[in-house]
Amino acid sequence: MNKVLITGIASPLGRRLARRLASGWSVCGVDARPWQGRPREIAMHVVDLRKRGFEEVVRSERPDAVVHLGVLREMQGDARNRHDLNVRGTKSLLDHCAAFEVGQLVVVSTGTVYGAAPENPLYMSEDEPLSASRSYPEIRDRVEVDALASSFVWRVPEVRTAVLRPVHVMGPHATGMMADYLRRARPPIVLGYDPLVQLIHEDDWAEAIALALSKKLAGVFNVTGPGVVPLRTAIAETRGEPLALPEFALRPMVRGAFAAGLVPWPEGALDYLKYPVTLSGERFAQAAGWKPLFELREIFAAHRERRSEP
Amino acid sequence: MSAPNEERGDGLLDQLAERLMAALPDSVRELDAQIGERLARIPTSLNEYGVDRFGMEPQSVRRQLLPGALLYRRYFRVETSGIERVPTGRVLLIANHAGQLPFDAMMLSVAMLLEAEPPRLARGLGEYWIPRLPFVSSAATRMGGLVGTPENCRALLDAEECVMVFPEGVRGMNKTFRERYRLQRFGTGFVRLALETRTPIVPVGIVGSEEQQPGLFDLKPLAKLLGMPAFPITPTFPLLGPLGLFPLPVKYRIHFGEPLRFAGSAAEEDAAIEARVAEVRTAIDKLLEAGRRQRKSIFS
Repeated sequence: MNKVLITGIASPLGRRLARRLASGWSVCGVDARPWQGRPREIAMHVVDLRKRGFEEVVRSERPDAVVHLGVLREMQGDARNRHDLNVRGTKSLLDHCAAFEVGQLVVVSTGTVYGAAPENPLYMSEDEPLSASRSYPEIRDRVEVDALASSFVWRVPEVRTAVLRPVHVMGPHATGMMADYLRRARPPIVLGYDPLVQLIHEDDWAEAIALALSKKLAGVFNVTGPGVVPLRTAIAETRGEPLALPEFALRPMVRGAFAAGLVPWPEGALDYLKYPVTLSGERFAQAAGWKPLFELREIFAAHRERRSEP
Repeated sequence: MSAPNEERGDGLLDQLAERLMAALPDSVRELDAQIGERLARIPTSLNEYGVDRFGMEPQSVRRQLLPGALLYRRYFRVETSGIERVPTGRVLLIANHAGQLPFDAMMLSVAMLLEAEPPRLARGLGEYWIPRLPFVSSAATRMGGLVGTPENCRALLDAEECVMVFPEGVRGMNKTFRERYRLQRFGTGFVRLALETRTPIVPVGIVGSEEQQPGLFDLKPLAKLLGMPAFPITPTFPLLGPLGLFPLPVKYRIHFGEPLRFAGSAAEEDAAIEARVAEVRTAIDKLLEAGRRQRKSIFS
């Protein structure tokens, strides 16, 4: 049985993916936090990706494949530390993959790296520039991680590398910004704007990662779900009551609330409530035969139930 | 299909619109019903939330086109000629642009809905700053409009849509009265896209819009300061505030020309592309000239 190593295995997505892959792979993983209640057949090491301990894990486990989920997503907290952890951690992971002849690698990025700009066309292809940090400095580390991994695809072709950029992941266990936003009773919206949003069910997302592994994909891929809805419809369908405020009032409010630790989104995230960031999933559909299973209605219904991953 | 909002009973806008409709005279309600009927004849692929993949929502189109249709019938008393020349399937409507505010675009889309057979939903491609404007941006999207990037235009044409483009852009819309019916420089992107997607181009000459709000001059430094594309000074604007941009009751005539089908490659040099742009421009010029000769005054 081939072996896969998952970074960030203790995260909700990591746990889900580990269980999903355990039937066909020998699964091991690393994370900075332990995973209590982990199934016996899954090995895990508590290490920091930037430290020598991680190199030792790759050396001794000798995985055939690596799935890189191990980036810190929370924007609250020390920004310098997050940047260092994510960018240098990814660099070290890429180096080890090349040095220890890992056959394939899947790097989980995010569709938000394209940035929310007024001139965004609908259904952006993977070749669009990653302009998120123009008005959203806190996301710079994610853009750099994506760029490092994307250049690794071509730089080290011996490691078949797939970089996945999903649309907003939703579901009872999802923890992303949009997931959190759409769980709020009164999510703020920018008065006069109602961009289209794209969503994907967390099970579909885990399935997409598994598919990228099994198809041994190399390249950069958007991963999309079942379609688009206006943001306000998404809020209504997740039983939220939008709090519509003009931009000049909302900006300082969000800035203050973020500084005070009341909301997880910095001011720059507001642009995602104004302009569409919609992705074309055609490349992934063609390369992997991807088709999402969950419809929009099912995604909304699932999202309304909040559960934590065992 | 009913909007999900209505089921929850808090579609405030829907309730308001309903009340408003009830209070309106019969003739207006008839017009609304006519818009509804004709919209229903336009094939769309809506998802379970009543929007298509470009964000267009027929209910919203109907609501927004009613004031447009009223202006069309009662205020501008629009007449069309040659609308039967618009072919089915993918098509680019290329028209002149004037009048400080895009009433010409509104009238053209109403014409395509009310007069074309079968009715068409004309999709607008807007300037890059339009999505920045609150309310305008969301209203435009629900109407089926998009930012005018080549990708968006290509996607619409590939979906066999009818796309209207005003290649003069702001240069045309905010020109002064002295330059009325003098076509400004055309962008060339539309010809490349037509070649690439094998789309017929229908030249459209709109007579009337060029006199609807005579611009005396354009205060460019102030426009720059305010981050606006132009700051027109007209006899009524800014004197009467935003209402001062409301158009005069000019008579609109929309003339559709013979479709132009260009053969060739989208990768040709600018010179080759510009020759075709000039051809479209000349066609529009001729339509405008003939249209102006027909009329007795700008109001009739």
